[in-house]
Amino acid sequence: MSDLQRSFARAKLAGLPFEPPPPPNHLVENEEDDEIDDLKPLPEAPDDDSSSASSASSASSTGTIRPSPSKHLFARPKGFSNRKGSEPLPWNDYFTRELYLKFARPTENVTYHAYITPPTAKGPLLVTHHGAGSSGLSFALFASEIRKALPDAGVLSLDARGHGETVVEKLEPSPSDAAPDLSHEILSQDLLDVIQLTEKEMKWSELPGLLLIGHSLGGAVVTDLAKSGKLGNAVLGYAVLDVVEGSAIDALQSMQSYLLTRPKNFPSLSSAIEWHTRSRTIRNTTSARISVPSLLRLDPSQPSANETKTWTWRTDLAATQPYWQGWFAGLSKKFLDAKGGKLLLLAGTDRLDKELMIGQMQGKYQLQVLPEAGHFIHEDQAEKTAMVVADFYRRNDRSALVLPPKVGDLLKANAAA
Amino acid sequence: MEQPEKLELLRSTESLPRAISELRACKIIPEPQVREICHKARELLIEEANVVQVDAPVTICGDIHGQFHDLMELFRVGGDVPDTNYLFMGDFVDRGFYSLESFLLLLCLKVRYPDRITLIRGNHESRQITTVYGFYDECLRKYGSANVWRYCCEVFDYLALGAIVLGTSSTLEPSFTDQSQAIEPVDDDVEIEIMNSRNEVTARFPRSRRPLFEPEALNSSPPGTPSKTGPSGTGATSDAGGSLQSGGGSVLCVHGGLSPLIDSVDKIRLLDRKQEVPHEGAMCDLLWSDPDEIDGWGLSPRGAGFLFGSDIVKRFNYLNDLSLIARAHQLVMEGFKEMFDSSIVTVWSAPNYCYRCGNVAAILELGEDTSNGGIISRSNGDAERSLQVLPTNDMPRSGPGRRYRVFEAAPQDPRGMPAKKPVADYFLINSPIAISIRTDFRLKDKEKFGGILELEDGEQESTGASEPEEIPVPDIKKGDVFII
Repeated sequence: MSDLQRSFARAKLAGLPFEPPPPPNHLVENEEDDEIDDLKPLPEAPDDDSSSASSASSASSTGTIRPSPSKHLFARPKGFSNRKGSEPLPWNDYFTRELYLKFARPTENVTYHAYITPPTAKGPLLVTHHGAGSSGLSFALFASEIRKALPDAGVLSLDARGHGETVVEKLEPSPSDAAPDLSHEILSQDLLDVIQLTEKEMKWSELPGLLLIGHSLGGAVVTDLAKSGKLGNAVLGYAVLDVVEGSAIDALQSMQSYLLTRPKNFPSLSSAIEWHTRSRTIRNTTSARISVPSLLRLDPSQPSANETKTWTWRTDLAATQPYWQGWFAGLSKKFLDAKGGKLLLLAGTDRLDKELMIGQMQGKYQLQVLPEAGHFIHEDQAEKTAMVVADFYRRNDRSALVLPPKVGDLLKANAAA
Repeated sequence: MEQPEKLELLRSTESLPRAISELRACKIIPEPQVREICHKARELLIEEANVVQVDAPVTICGDIHGQFHDLMELFRVGGDVPDTNYLFMGDFVDRGFYSLESFLLLLCLKVRYPDRITLIRGNHESRQITTVYGFYDECLRKYGSANVWRYCCEVFDYLALGAIVLGTSSTLEPSFTDQSQAIEPVDDDVEIEIMNSRNEVTARFPRSRRPLFEPEALNSSPPGTPSKTGPSGTGATSDAGGSLQSGGGSVLCVHGGLSPLIDSVDKIRLLDRKQEVPHEGAMCDLLWSDPDEIDGWGLSPRGAGFLFGSDIVKRFNYLNDLSLIARAHQLVMEGFKEMFDSSIVTVWSAPNYCYRCGNVAAILELGEDTSNGGIISRSNGDAERSLQVLPTNDMPRSGPGRRYRVFEAAPQDPRGMPAKKPVADYFLINSPIAISIRTDFRLKDKEKFGGILELEDGEQESTGASEPEEIPVPDIKKGDVFII
């Protein structure tokens, strides 16, 4: 984009924060029709920083869309209260439905909670697993972005146990049940169960092609499931977002001290959203507005009669410490050994450990780095993440794969002719 | 545009030798001089074909990745320029801490001794890759602007895509540093010799009598195909199996490997290479593909290029009258790896890659065929073709005599080694100011990169982007851990 365009866009955005730039000249004939729509705010760009290139380009890219009243391109989508707000956004703008999947085990009854947009036609199903302390809505913005790149793709995003709205009811309560069992074996089994329950619930005759995508802890979970081979040939590939065994285990030492610096509670959901964006934990306001509310609940220790309600974390991360080492130990080897396409998305190149560095330089997997993103790559850079994942799917889509002929086949063809 | 007189100045004032000695000391040279050298290099490289023709003897090197001190070790082990001829198969930059010094030194040597050193392009010689894997950041850090990165990227676009080594010897010459020891004659029957960095032979392999790739099957060329008489690697070539040359045959050097779109070396010659490395297509494949133990072609897990099996390599070598493909691109813990009955070799020249992988490195020496007074090697390897000797399975395998020199990482220079970051910062929050400055630099140049890359030289970094927004976050300090 040229300086001129950029400064133009910036000036327009700065001066008229709630209005899209006027349509370019070649659309002037539509101007009158658009007036009503123009007064409404734009759908929010994924980047909240109005000085950055991406919002400038999203502004100028409106020039390529031909707005018409019938299409409601500039109409306010449900739930967008205002452009710069920090109000929560509802999940149902990003997923078509939510599932409550009941599953009984000898020791527990679980109600898994998951969000789903089913695939259409022969599209793949992207199964996403969030990181520790996050929730299924962490992938909400990514889910809507991936549908732009792959309109037939579906997304299934679960709340892991101890997170979001997934409820575990222990049949034989014991003192040790105070904290949920978050060992990677259990989480990996949960993910498998959710996929199979969803298959039943959605009445699919067979599983669609699966891409397993996990962020942080979730990356360890999907890798574990892919390595187990329990989903057989359904898994086309798996993607791990911003976690590497070596550096994750190094960082665990200082995890507790980080947790101590987090606020214990928030007076409102908006303030929690603001904290996440201001601390640059999540660098994309829109995504924070969708995902942060699901991380919190009304503090049960406060009596409901109390006027001052406070919100507290749903997941007590500090209590999950016994499982941390287990989540990441052996991750690099599992990642390289499992069958299927392998994608590692990182926010920085210096995170590879020795094993993955060697693996990368031997061409064993695909590495993508998004230096602009923070740890929550898929929230901070939802659109780019979706593009990378869409390309990854296209490469690994076995139904579409046509390879050049083998020499043996060429010789046979020659002999026949 | 640069004035030609100015370039003459570069040579006449001895500034180039000075630049070389500065760079050999791992010091950076002034930006205007980088600009001149890059310009001069482009003038040289534009004259080169997509597939450079190189005469043996030559020493073939793989990835360097900015490991300057190991490059110095390579020159110590392999002999200095211009005493030894070198062919570097790309990936000079990224990952290591001295991409700039390494690449500029090689470039200066290229300008100073154009016939002694050949540089071909690797997948890291690309704008997109260098912005992510370190070279861009390094230029920014060392010069305070992206200008030098931009000059280098312009050179990248002119680098050749491959090279073909002609006139190799099937026997090994005595090692160049053998003078110090009693000269031990190398047995004519030795095909592969492995030496360590102290110039000691660690292993020798006699020429084996492995069966050749069945040429009968491939001889079934369509009727009307003219009998081929031209030099190796051209469409006019003779059959590889059928022409037991007096020498070791021709060696194709390319960074990655083969492409399904390329069935002859001539097809490489037809590419338009003066561009950023594309995401797909023949040029991309040449720089990205890997050989693998498969049949035919496969999907590359890298996300670009292909995997190719032994049948593909043998057919390609056969059709193009090549005895060997030398390539880099893949880390090999032992420094080099021959595959598919020695029809392809991977050479890796970055020891202890990324200062942590614990691998050794290797270079490959190919000797010159002097059996006919050096005439054969200049005639592109088609001598004795008139004899039309057909190979049989118990004839010695053709192929050049290969001496691999294996070496380890240079002792770390305590002054030169930047402090390694203690913990990856993804779990850490840098001070917000540091983050925003970094992102701001990136964004600025990304914008140029996307739209107006061809800036006037020396233009200031004034994109008019607003100052980075500093978010005061009192409750999070530098070094704090982030969420898992």
